[in-house]
Amino acid sequence: MARKYVHLTPYFLVMPYIVHFFVFIAFPVLFSFFLMFHKWNIISPMEFIGLHNFYRLINDRLFFRSIFNTLIFLVIHVPLQIVVALFFAEILNQKIRLRGFFRAAFFLPVIVSGVVVTMLWEQLYGFDTGLLNRMLVSVGLPKVGWLIRPELAMPSIAIMATWKNVGLYIVLFLVGLQSVPPQYYEAADLEGANRWQKFFYITLPGINPTVLMVLILSTIGGFSLFIEPYIMTGGGPLNSTLSAVLYIYKQGFFYYHMGYAATLGFCFAIIILLVIALQKRFIERESGN
Amino acid sequence: MIRRAIFYLFLLMGALLFMYPFLWMLSASLAPETELGDLVLLPSEITLQSYSQVIDKIPIGRAFLNSLIVSLSIVAGVLVFGSMVGYALSRLRFKGRQLLFFIIIFTMTLPFQITLIPQYILMVEFGWVDTYLALIIPYLMNALAIIMFRQYFMSIPQDLIDAARIDGCNELQILFRILWPNSIPALLTVGIITFMASWNEVLWPLIVIRNEDLMTMPQLVTLFAVGGRAESQLGAKLASATMLALPIVIAYIFFQRYFIQSMATSGMKE
Amino acid sequence: MRNTHINFLYRFLRVFLLIAVLAGIQCDENNRSGRDALLYWSANNPDEIHFAREMVKNWNESDPKIQVVHQPVPEGRSSEEIILAAVVGKTTPDIYSNMWQGDVEAYAQANVLIPLDTITGFLNFMTARCDSETIAEVTSLDGHIYQVPWKINPIMLLYNENIFENIGFQDPPDTYSDFLEAAARIQKDSDGDGYIDRWIGYCEVLVVWYQRFFDFYPLYLAASGGGSLVKGSEVKFNNEYAVEVFRFLKTLYEKRYLPRERLSARSDAFLAGVIATRFAGPWEIAHAEKFKPEGFKYSFQSMPVPDEQEGPVYTYGDPKNIVIFNTCKDPARAWRFIRFMIEKENDLKFLEITSQIPRRRNLFHDEFFRNFFQQNPKMIPFALQAEHVKGTDQSPVLKEIFDIISQEYEACVIYGTKSPETAIADAARAVELILP
Repeated sequence: MARKYVHLTPYFLVMPYIVHFFVFIAFPVLFSFFLMFHKWNIISPMEFIGLHNFYRLINDRLFFRSIFNTLIFLVIHVPLQIVVALFFAEILNQKIRLRGFFRAAFFLPVIVSGVVVTMLWEQLYGFDTGLLNRMLVSVGLPKVGWLIRPELAMPSIAIMATWKNVGLYIVLFLVGLQSVPPQYYEAADLEGANRWQKFFYITLPGINPTVLMVLILSTIGGFSLFIEPYIMTGGGPLNSTLSAVLYIYKQGFFYYHMGYAATLGFCFAIIILLVIALQKRFIERESGN
Repeated sequence: MIRRAIFYLFLLMGALLFMYPFLWMLSASLAPETELGDLVLLPSEITLQSYSQVIDKIPIGRAFLNSLIVSLSIVAGVLVFGSMVGYALSRLRFKGRQLLFFIIIFTMTLPFQITLIPQYILMVEFGWVDTYLALIIPYLMNALAIIMFRQYFMSIPQDLIDAARIDGCNELQILFRILWPNSIPALLTVGIITFMASWNEVLWPLIVIRNEDLMTMPQLVTLFAVGGRAESQLGAKLASATMLALPIVIAYIFFQRYFIQSMATSGMKE
Repeated sequence: MRNTHINFLYRFLRVFLLIAVLAGIQCDENNRSGRDALLYWSANNPDEIHFAREMVKNWNESDPKIQVVHQPVPEGRSSEEIILAAVVGKTTPDIYSNMWQGDVEAYAQANVLIPLDTITGFLNFMTARCDSETIAEVTSLDGHIYQVPWKINPIMLLYNENIFENIGFQDPPDTYSDFLEAAARIQKDSDGDGYIDRWIGYCEVLVVWYQRFFDFYPLYLAASGGGSLVKGSEVKFNNEYAVEVFRFLKTLYEKRYLPRERLSARSDAFLAGVIATRFAGPWEIAHAEKFKPEGFKYSFQSMPVPDEQEGPVYTYGDPKNIVIFNTCKDPARAWRFIRFMIEKENDLKFLEITSQIPRRRNLFHDEFFRNFFQQNPKMIPFALQAEHVKGTDQSPVLKEIFDIISQEYEACVIYGTKSPETAIADAARAVELILP
């Protein structure tokens, strides 16, 4: 393996990455730290304001609201995503005809831009003419204000996001399911285990890594929620769909509060890392048992 | 038998649930504006009026070109640079390799929320706002792509590389002449994920591009849908959405297997 | 086999790089043109581009010493953002004629605008063109004037004549109780599904600060006779007028006279007869003429006011003004071009070409413009209204002020979770905190 004559080539190969890393990752992280202590609207000179941005943050109702909203989104979206994806993956994992077609159909929303999906669901969720409400009325139920009622708007967006992404997770679970050794099921059949027992005692432990990955992926996805509320609700009604990223965007690019927006970004980043670390620990402890 | 039929009916309904909105969008974008109140699939007549409205009002063709230029540049950059770093990490020994690997893993866990504002300010300072550079350069490197290349290159037999060295190839030649042709699946996977991600990206263009001639498709369609340019014509909004979805759906129809596989493997590696 | 793959990739990369370089060159060329001449950016709608081209052509022919190059402000998200980007990149034009009045104070404080009152002859010209109210309105907090008031698009009550005839209203409602009365009669469930499907109006329910220019703000100006929201570092909207407006709008939502669902995601509700009125400006005329169904009749009138109110009814004028940026080497020359562009003959031309109202005193009663209004009767209400419009207060944090009001507006007016009194008091308290 030792090749003494290659001295500089490796550095040449990784140089672009290192430059890119310093310019677009290391510097921005440091700069955002610097910005947190300043007030700056880009056109006027920067002004040092000490800890004022933090003071403002802990008194900012909307900051806490946006964290709360994101958590609501995650609490609905993540379990729903996992259950629905597992359900369809289980079905598709059996010997069925046209499996490719079904898989492709479920996967379709994954590849289409969130902009398109959001514009479509805005029509589905419409109060008067929306498809969902028409269906409700046709079976004699009252209409629902999907995006109008503050307590329903975020769940509605979470359902839409599940619809958009579930295809990806079906595919991931399919891969996971296929990695569970078939001998286990054969052994369970000999023992006379029923379907549910097989699912809970063999399948679920077998796909634990996949569950963890899906959990983390959809959590990260949930924290980057932006375009859906941006198009559908603008963060309303009553700030119930104001997501973390939408709030940073508003502070940064509506009002040009760059210092405060950087502070928000920093704090959100820490919260995200905390949540993911917690999830990881929880799952790993569960699977340890 | 009946159970089987019910089972398939159920599956079919599930599939329909995922396709119906797109079919409706397509049909509604072809329907006359007055018939849009209904959510049925077949309009009484087919008209391209909504499409011509979109083309009149926003430079959607130009945006398509912009999106293509941006996405393809990013794909090219990610493939070239990603494989370079992936190669160095997997096959060459040098001081700091472990540290570099650690840094790359670390950047994958770093939420983008933290760098969003400073990156915008960088673009301003570089004078890149309203240029392709702002859309392309920050995305030329991708930690996930590097890791995937590293994984894949590790599975390639060392003999192949040694033979090339004996033939007098330098490292770049080894990478592009020997490793690339043997890594088509990895190139495809990275290429497809990168292309999809950059084609559908909308937050960053919204931030750095204000000039309509440089806007990417998702950005232009978003602003068309949210702003007043559509003049409250729903058909036109849906037509613009259809145009945004179409290229990727067509690519998907042709390369469906690769799309699904790519997404599945990228998920596994994260 | 493998090699063809790679060759293809290489070829592709090469072609691709070529395209990218060419595109880069093209962009570069766009930025280079006419260094010595004055660079003038106009708004980028077709009518204003037409007007600006004509002005520049006439000017360049008459005065070869000062040449002007015209360019519409680069198309984009909103001209406000383009200007901000230009200021940041120091690529501002010499003259810009589509500056929203609400942005001027922030730019003035950042020292990127020329104080026009320091140019000889400016003040004389202004006192001749505008009344003192307007001049006071555009004077910045430091006492200088950084903008030439140019054009307005007053927000008025646009209504569907057919619907009001049907419910037995000779005239559209002009007071709150009239409006509520009409709203009750218009509210209808035409298909009998148990849900209202016709309303008196619609206000955008998304909470974006600038939507308040189409509901709360013009109603507030109407109720208060052109009152201020803030003056310097003082909150002025903590008064009974603001509370009245909130109460009026809140009642409309409570009784379901206005829909809480977003009609803007659907086809045009006004032209479809789903709503009977809309608070809007003269741009609706062109839109309606283009898309209206057969037999559709519409008209404009001033904003509704509280019942016991007397005197002229004010509204928001949505003023767009002309400024000179500090990147201009010779402001006095730029000013001469501006003066030419807004003299009387050219104001008439502007009116004819763009159907926007020049902000000059006595417009409607001036013989000079009479002919135009005879030929364009739909514009008459706007010309009359132009005598009683207000723009925005001078404040560097105007957007935040409107954002705070919007938050309270949503809570109180749309969702009724607060009384109008508390909502206005809360908004006032929050605004106090951010005022300099």
